[in-house]
Amino acid sequence: MSTLKEILTRRPVAATIRLTVPAGGARPAPPVGPALGQYRLNLMAFCKDFNARTQKYKPDTPMAVTITAFKDNTFEFTVKSPSVTWYLKKAAGIESGSSRPGHVIATTLSVRHIYEIAKIKQSDPYCQYMSLESICKSITGTANTMGIKVVKDLD
Amino acid sequence: MSSSNFFKHLTLTSSYGFSILSRRFIHPPLTLLFTNIYPKRQPLIPTKISLRFSNCYTSVTEPQSSTLLSPYLSVRIRCRNDIADMFSEALMCFGASSTTVGELDNGDTSDEICIESIFPELEDVDVCISQAADSIGLKEIPSYEVKAGEQYDWIKKTQESFDPIEVTKGLWIVPEWKTPPDVQATNIILNPGLAFGTGEHPTTRLCLLLLQRLIKGGEHFLDYGTGSGILAIAALKFGASLSVGVDIDPIAITSARQNAALNNIGPEKLQLHLVSGNTSSPLIDEHKYVEKQTSCEKVVESEQEKYDVVIANILLNPLLELADDIISHAKPGAAIGLSGILSEQLPYIMDRYSPLLDDISVSEMDDWACLSGRKKTILTGG
Repeated sequence: MSTLKEILTRRPVAATIRLTVPAGGARPAPPVGPALGQYRLNLMAFCKDFNARTQKYKPDTPMAVTITAFKDNTFEFTVKSPSVTWYLKKAAGIESGSSRPGHVIATTLSVRHIYEIAKIKQSDPYCQYMSLESICKSITGTANTMGIKVVKDLD
Repeated sequence: MSSSNFFKHLTLTSSYGFSILSRRFIHPPLTLLFTNIYPKRQPLIPTKISLRFSNCYTSVTEPQSSTLLSPYLSVRIRCRNDIADMFSEALMCFGASSTTVGELDNGDTSDEICIESIFPELEDVDVCISQAADSIGLKEIPSYEVKAGEQYDWIKKTQESFDPIEVTKGLWIVPEWKTPPDVQATNIILNPGLAFGTGEHPTTRLCLLLLQRLIKGGEHFLDYGTGSGILAIAALKFGASLSVGVDIDPIAITSARQNAALNNIGPEKLQLHLVSGNTSSPLIDEHKYVEKQTSCEKVVESEQEKYDVVIANILLNPLLELADDIISHAKPGAAIGLSGILSEQLPYIMDRYSPLLDDISVSEMDDWACLSGRKKTILTGG
């Protein structure tokens, strides 16, 4: 957040745009097109930049992008990996979490899944200071709120 | 239900550019907008549209909602200033495709701020907003209004912002509606539309500079992933005898054809081919393009080893996957240029292409890199 303050004092910000875009799949179509076109940002430059930076993710993984648009029609953006809930749903192969978390268990996952998810999340700009163990704990916590049980080994 | 909400908030009082949206709302229906803005172009066929080669490995059955002309819902929400950020994050979790929070001007002291949000067409906006408000502990649902999304406004807006660019001394890229600042220089006139390649991006510039060094006169040039056709046109202006541009995106081919006409380049000097997005067989899904593609594929295939210069400005993954195909089009000893890669992605490209190329050199601009080399005259192991 401190870097955002620096940016704010450097250049006047016009808007903050949040988007969900599939990795490697940014196109000048909705939602990217209208959201960026509104502020006359260079759509193509964003698409190319975003696609290049998300090449290492599996195609169509929904990435969270935050774009800071400046008044002079330039922009900066940061890309975050998908939410933990998305990864958990994907790992468990379910569409949505349990309707009554805490009471009804939707599905189970092994610690190995949690570990894999934690490794991906560690490369996120906001999680880099956390130890792998604490990331795992936080993911397990999210899993519990979704009604996903974490066991040591899946039979 | 949504119409009642709209009538409640008919009078928009916000500043900064949203007044344009309020005028548009009483505009004629979508089809009229469409024909007004593009009188010259043929209607866009709403099939699966892909941008560059990023579609190579997604399955053929892509959902219709990802096409260019897909309708969307535009929702404007008024809420308190201090919770705007949290609220927009919550909206994203509950189904919004995008949220935009405008910054307040210094003189504006109102407590409220507008969040512009875009939802996919079939999303239940009311449920989503109430869930989002719930999740951050708002006592009441903020007021909002829902509109159908405007299709072509944003395309026109981005096009308006193009200015002539001097890539290097004596080479200018000029949008169609502006006059070239230096009539003596080599001027490439462009109407980029929705295809990539306006000359602004570092990779386009790197490729143009490379092209300037490589083209001595009379070469055959292949633009692999041509986009707006900028590189193919530039090659002809530098003195190449023949340019061929290929792309998997039909919009790119249309765009390139238009740009060629703008520069008075006929189809015999600049040939354009639409090829299939899959690396193996032609696409089965796109019935409209099957005949065109099979004949084009044969044309391109028979053109193995015909080009003196090949440039591919795409993305890392396609460059790695299509390496053999790209190299196969070049004559032995021909110059190959690769770009669209970040500097940090260079090692992968080097690994993949060093068995295929000699004299590899790298040029970089900002975070982007361009790799050039000569095709090995004897390929060991193919």
